[in-house]
Amino acid sequence: MARNFGRKLLISCAVLASTSLSALADDIKISFRFNDSERKEMRAALDEFEQQNPGIKVDLQTISWKDSRDQFLREAAVGQGPDVVHIAFVWTQEMAEAEAVTPVEELTKYGAFSNGFNDYIATDLTMYDGKAYGVPWSADTWAMVYRTDVLHSAGIMDKPETWDELKEASRTIKEKTGNTGFAFPAALQVWFPVNYYLWSNGASFITQDGKGGYKVGVSKEQLAGAMDYFKGYVDEGLAPRSILSIDQPHDPALMQALLDGKQAMAMMPTNTYRQLLSAYEKNNPGKTAPFDSGVMMHGTNAPRTHLGGRTLVVNSNTKHPEASWKLLQYLASAPLFEKYYTNQFPAQKTLLSQIEYRHEELGFAEQLANNTRTWGAYAESGVGVGPLWNTVSRAFGTALSGQESSEKSAEKLIAEIERMLAK
Amino acid sequence: MTLSPKLRERLTIFFMLLPTFAILVGFYLYPTLYNLELSFTDITLLKLKRGGDFIGLANYWEFLTSDSFFAIAVNTVLWLTGISVVCRLLLGLGFAMLLNSQFLKNIRMTTLARLMLLVPWATPPVVAVIAWRWLFDPTHGPINSWLLATGLIDDPVAFTANLATVWPAIITIIVWNTTPLIGVSLLAALQTIPEELNEAAAIDGANRWQQFRYITLPYLMPTISVLGLMSVIWTFNNFVYVWLTTGAGPGTFTNVLATEVYLKAFVDLRIGYSAAIGVTMAVVMAAFGALYFRFFGLNEMQEKVG
Repeated sequence: MARNFGRKLLISCAVLASTSLSALADDIKISFRFNDSERKEMRAALDEFEQQNPGIKVDLQTISWKDSRDQFLREAAVGQGPDVVHIAFVWTQEMAEAEAVTPVEELTKYGAFSNGFNDYIATDLTMYDGKAYGVPWSADTWAMVYRTDVLHSAGIMDKPETWDELKEASRTIKEKTGNTGFAFPAALQVWFPVNYYLWSNGASFITQDGKGGYKVGVSKEQLAGAMDYFKGYVDEGLAPRSILSIDQPHDPALMQALLDGKQAMAMMPTNTYRQLLSAYEKNNPGKTAPFDSGVMMHGTNAPRTHLGGRTLVVNSNTKHPEASWKLLQYLASAPLFEKYYTNQFPAQKTLLSQIEYRHEELGFAEQLANNTRTWGAYAESGVGVGPLWNTVSRAFGTALSGQESSEKSAEKLIAEIERMLAK
Repeated sequence: MTLSPKLRERLTIFFMLLPTFAILVGFYLYPTLYNLELSFTDITLLKLKRGGDFIGLANYWEFLTSDSFFAIAVNTVLWLTGISVVCRLLLGLGFAMLLNSQFLKNIRMTTLARLMLLVPWATPPVVAVIAWRWLFDPTHGPINSWLLATGLIDDPVAFTANLATVWPAIITIIVWNTTPLIGVSLLAALQTIPEELNEAAAIDGANRWQQFRYITLPYLMPTISVLGLMSVIWTFNNFVYVWLTTGAGPGTFTNVLATEVYLKAFVDLRIGYSAAIGVTMAVVMAAFGALYFRFFGLNEMQEKVG
């Protein structure tokens, strides 16, 4: 009797196990590569997607932003890589050129966009050879961030509006409080403030030449002037020399200085600002965050920052295009931005218009709505944003650190951009 | 048909060597030849699927005549390799002598000292760099705190951002992390020197320096030479320390050949150009190895010492 019961139990378990295994085997498994810091939240979002779509399992992969572009290009070239990937806006055309991603028109047969493709912003950046190769996912830009209590303690009641006023305010803060006024990441991401400075002064690294081609859009004097402007912060001791080795605006040294009230002004992207606000609120429960945001500095022209963001693409090697497309559409839906991916703004006009900004974020809203431009000629000229970015950051690094004079660095940089354009 | 003993012996040797040969071809020769082939093309990461076009020696010419070549070569040869290898060999020799000394034995610290020496060596380079970056940090780093507290400096020093301190900072990290290997290897060599030689020399009136110069050093030279060669090749090709400490900056101040390979391949996406730099590095190291063996005459030295 006992032996019979044991046998029946064993058979039941075997049947159950085989049923579960076959169910698992029938599941479609796709992977999503996501490089932002909200991994926990994204996993929760994917769990919800799996519940809504029984039979599809999603593996969440992560790689640092720094390595993600070349890693995916390498994988895609040999038929590998995740099914759905989030990439920077400006990489989409490169990925299309490398045949690493699937054209959107091949995917829409599995389901149309809820508000049409035109509802997305910056779709021009996804176009290659007349076809769209990605779906803009999130939109962001950089804006100014102020620690208002530090400004007030230095007697500065009005925020600076021009680059010169920014430096003057930094001098005042240093003199009156001993704190840092404005500090910025001066290594790799010096690229951003430098471009904003040049754009607001009517220059650009690459511009259209009016004959269907492209040319260097900045003079040696303008470039050396920009280098001297940022170098001044280091040389005058307005910002610590250590910023020369700081790559990112969310570097702990910069973030901590703002949180501790040792620095008054910074520039950063939206998600970094939201992280800053939540870090302050977590450390100081019940206290109002003494931060405010504002549009970028003016030069001789209006302030301009880049329209950046992330694009979702489907790997051209995917074996599950339909499931990948379902996931992509889920990721671009409103609930995801409301519940899980809350540090980012959606790249859809209808969703953007529904956002209720916090008072502290209005500077970002204003910047994003009225004062952004795309990298445009940098990507269209064939030079590519990545290589230009590296070249510019290195050249500014040589000038800011004193390795070479601003004039010499500027001269070399212009020659290098001309060489890149000629290639 | 019966095989002659000689042929049988040769066939046995051939088949026994075959797996090793196959592994070497598969894992070393093929990638090397493929890299060489890439270096003659204009292939980029965007053209991996389609392949690049043959452009002859253009990549080599561009690299060797570029504005940055001289600075990168000086950084690699002088700072990264030359100074750091000399520091490691000298410090390693010092540690080995100390660990082998009667002094440590007398105070019963030999085992502890040997264990302590192994700690930096057991630390992965990535962890070592992160730890040292924190130590060097101008705001929260203990080195700056200590220097400020003792009044040696008035303002914090940005060790990894200041042109005067950035190379010494990188070399400090490399030396800290890798000297123990040299020390332990030289300690092992020191322990093979017959004690009677030093005793006989002492009886003949040789002082400590003379014993070191004419007994210890000749015995250690084969080990020092091999360690020197290995350290040079390993450091010359090393990417981790510079990249993780400074990212080749500030600007291009600490850019070395290995970081240039990375920047050209994975930032500028120029795989062919980057392959050409890699081949140049391999050629330089092969030439260095050949000259080194010739200069040091390692085989003769080994025979002399026994």
